[in-house]
Amino acid sequence: MRAILDKLALLRGRDRLIISNNRNFERFDYQTRLEDHSYVVFDTELTGLNPKKDEIIAIGAVRIRNLQIDLAETFHYYVKPENLDHTRATLIHQITPQQLEEAPPLETVLPMFLKFIEQDLLVGHYVTIDSTFLNRATRQLYNGTVANPSLDTMRMAQIYKRTVLGDYHGSQQIADGRYNLQKLSGELNLPYFEAHDALEDALQTAYLFIFLVKKLRTVGIKTIRELFAAGKEIAMSARKPDGI
Amino acid sequence: MAVKDRRKGPRVPSINGSEHAVAPDVAVAFLKNTMPFRELDDDALRDLALHCKIDFFPKGTRLLTYNESEITHLFLVQRGGVRAFITDDDGEIVLKDYRGVGSNIGALGIIRETKANLNIETIEDTFCYLIPRDIFKELVRNESAISHFYLKSFSDNVVATAYTELRKNKLTRRSTEELLLFNTKAAELSKPLFSVSATTSIQECGVIMARQGIGSLLVYVDEDPGSMIGIITDTDFRTKVIAEGRDTREPVSSIMSSPLKTVPADMLCFDVLLKMMTISIHHLGVEQSGRVTGVITSHDIMVQQGNSPYYLFKEIAAQSEFEGLYLLSEKISGLVRNIINEGAKAGDIARMIALINERIISQILILLHRQLGPAPVRYSWLMFGSEGRIEQTFKTDQDNGIVYEEPNPDQRAEVEKYFGVFGEQATYHLLKCGYPSCPDNVMVSNPEWCQSITGWKEQFGKWIEQDESHEQIGASIFFDFRHGYGTEQLAVDLRNHIITCCRRSNTIVENLGRYFLTMQAPLSFFEQFIVEQNGDHKDRLDIKLRGLAPFVDFARVLSLKYGIRQTNTLTRLKRLSAKKVVDKDFYLDMVDAYELQMQLRVIHQLSQIEEGNEPDDYILPEQLSDLEKRMLKDGFSVIGKMQSLMRKEIEEA
Repeated sequence: MRAILDKLALLRGRDRLIISNNRNFERFDYQTRLEDHSYVVFDTELTGLNPKKDEIIAIGAVRIRNLQIDLAETFHYYVKPENLDHTRATLIHQITPQQLEEAPPLETVLPMFLKFIEQDLLVGHYVTIDSTFLNRATRQLYNGTVANPSLDTMRMAQIYKRTVLGDYHGSQQIADGRYNLQKLSGELNLPYFEAHDALEDALQTAYLFIFLVKKLRTVGIKTIRELFAAGKEIAMSARKPDGI
Repeated sequence: MAVKDRRKGPRVPSINGSEHAVAPDVAVAFLKNTMPFRELDDDALRDLALHCKIDFFPKGTRLLTYNESEITHLFLVQRGGVRAFITDDDGEIVLKDYRGVGSNIGALGIIRETKANLNIETIEDTFCYLIPRDIFKELVRNESAISHFYLKSFSDNVVATAYTELRKNKLTRRSTEELLLFNTKAAELSKPLFSVSATTSIQECGVIMARQGIGSLLVYVDEDPGSMIGIITDTDFRTKVIAEGRDTREPVSSIMSSPLKTVPADMLCFDVLLKMMTISIHHLGVEQSGRVTGVITSHDIMVQQGNSPYYLFKEIAAQSEFEGLYLLSEKISGLVRNIINEGAKAGDIARMIALINERIISQILILLHRQLGPAPVRYSWLMFGSEGRIEQTFKTDQDNGIVYEEPNPDQRAEVEKYFGVFGEQATYHLLKCGYPSCPDNVMVSNPEWCQSITGWKEQFGKWIEQDESHEQIGASIFFDFRHGYGTEQLAVDLRNHIITCCRRSNTIVENLGRYFLTMQAPLSFFEQFIVEQNGDHKDRLDIKLRGLAPFVDFARVLSLKYGIRQTNTLTRLKRLSAKKVVDKDFYLDMVDAYELQMQLRVIHQLSQIEEGNEPDDYILPEQLSDLEKRMLKDGFSVIGKMQSLMRKEIEEA
């Protein structure tokens, strides 16, 4: 069944959801100041880290507007996976197999999520992983990827430590796990809680994000362009892939 | 792309399929742990959480500016902390209040519909939950637990606000002697430095201290005489040398406190005192450009604070001339300003004024005895009415009398003559000290109120037992008498007599109780305030007569019934609660209502004094905010309940 749907999607070309999403960012202005953007901070829960066989089983997200976390605009869904290895999901995520069994499939959740993120920038901690799974899903279902620029709070934390705190050991610390969300939150003295689902992980990341944006302003990083430039600088010095 | 004007995103169905977004559990948990929102049930908390935004303010961010900022939302501190302060016209910071995790900021301004009454600045990186103003007001309006919480803190905060405004209006800046704590810097009070090497023997140090007449020595190491590593004080000699039987040939380093705690030379004495109180250390080094240049002690600060109550007390007691007392009593208003400045509340002010008045009366009487000779018999100076109840505010008429020991028949004429002159003189000197005459002539100079114990007992017996409602109502302020000077036992005997008489006869409780039932709470059926219909005070509410008096009367009548000796209204209510005459919740409601009115009255009078007018009790309900009106009405509604209780009490009697 899925294969037929995939073929149909291909025949139709890109889905209108993706087309409208991409249109939102055709003329994206990288000079806009960080506080003038809205953001969706999101987190996914996965059955594992292999994009080839693992799947999204939960999406949690919270919107940031005027650099304030808006608790009225949250998004949280469990997703029924195609193939479920029950034991593993239960162990890692405190999600019961039954919850997943009753959850809507990705085909239902994804359009809602695309509508939720609309014209906002995406934010995540190690956002590459979440984006990879998100785009794999949109590619499969809608034959295209989302165009929302994304920001990685892990990278931003590195920039912060380097430019504001003068700490040049970022990449080593990543390897040490010191850029782990919980450890960072503790180190930066952010409100900290035992996050037990994707929504709360997103919220924890949102705290980190508004902290970092306001701190980075003090060293002259005020627009998306300036943030990306600072990210590239770090990436080059650490010989890591582009982007932030 | 401009995203500023983007329309509000759709509410997204939650996991359980509801049409609305769900707030993360952690957000609900935060509110649940924060006063006063923990009073809400879970549904209300979830709903509230959805209306919250979370913001981050780096250290040093100004959140609110005094008299400028519109308060658009309540701030709840989740992480970090802020300081609250105002800056006077000279740029000095005159008040500091630190608020940390869990405290809320802006509630008072929202409730009173005013601009910010303080400057608020973050002193750490701070995260806050923001509750929109309208949502917060709705909560206060609809959730009784929340409004109760603010009603309580309101009465404290209201006064704080009034004081803040007064400070701004320079009420406290009339004399340079005042406000010492806020305009004197540590360096100005620091004492010159005496220091010794760490190797000096304890005994030698003792000699130096004795010779120089000093209470402390700083200690340095020989390698670096400029940097002080510790301090020894008199206390160290007591606790570490004598008490421990230590060999005084040991080096001083064995008993010093180290490291030396210091304050910067330009720190305000107020902050120095706060630091001393916080760390419980009374000697601090004063540091200027990295070097310790002197020592400052809590004693130095207290002594210098010339207009402190303590200082005035000592001065009053030291006066040997009436003229000196007249002059000193002029200082009372300054003193009141001073204690207001240090954050006193209505109750504190009343207690302080009572203490000072007693001290002045005592000194007048002591001087009179020097002039007229000692009294031929023992006596007790009695204070009636609000003075007896320790409830005066700024305007205190004389309401006093004397009860003296029963003289022998042959002594009587002499005793009466002595107290006649004594009473005349006392009244005169009190008048000169600024206490106006009592319009009803309830003063010691009136022979009716300067009687022997037998005379007084008869008088009270008559008031209690005769069935003359009118007389009893007129006499009720006498039942609030309190001993002020002389032999307290006479006042105690008189109180015992009253208690015995009340046990025998119910008429006074019944008559005063009935009279209380005729009092009308100042609310009509339409929930409007009852205001004066004509005269100078048209449209004003006499808060003393219509608001406070019912509480005073209620407490007095039931105290007579239940043999309670105390005279202060709040204390009487407390005793009534302890005796289970009133239940606990009702007691707390009465206390809240009474305190709120006391505070409103104090603020009203403060502002009148500030404008140079005579203080009175007529407040203008129009000038109250909606919420103040509502709280005041809630308070008045307690009167109805007091009346039903009184009805029951009379029927029993």
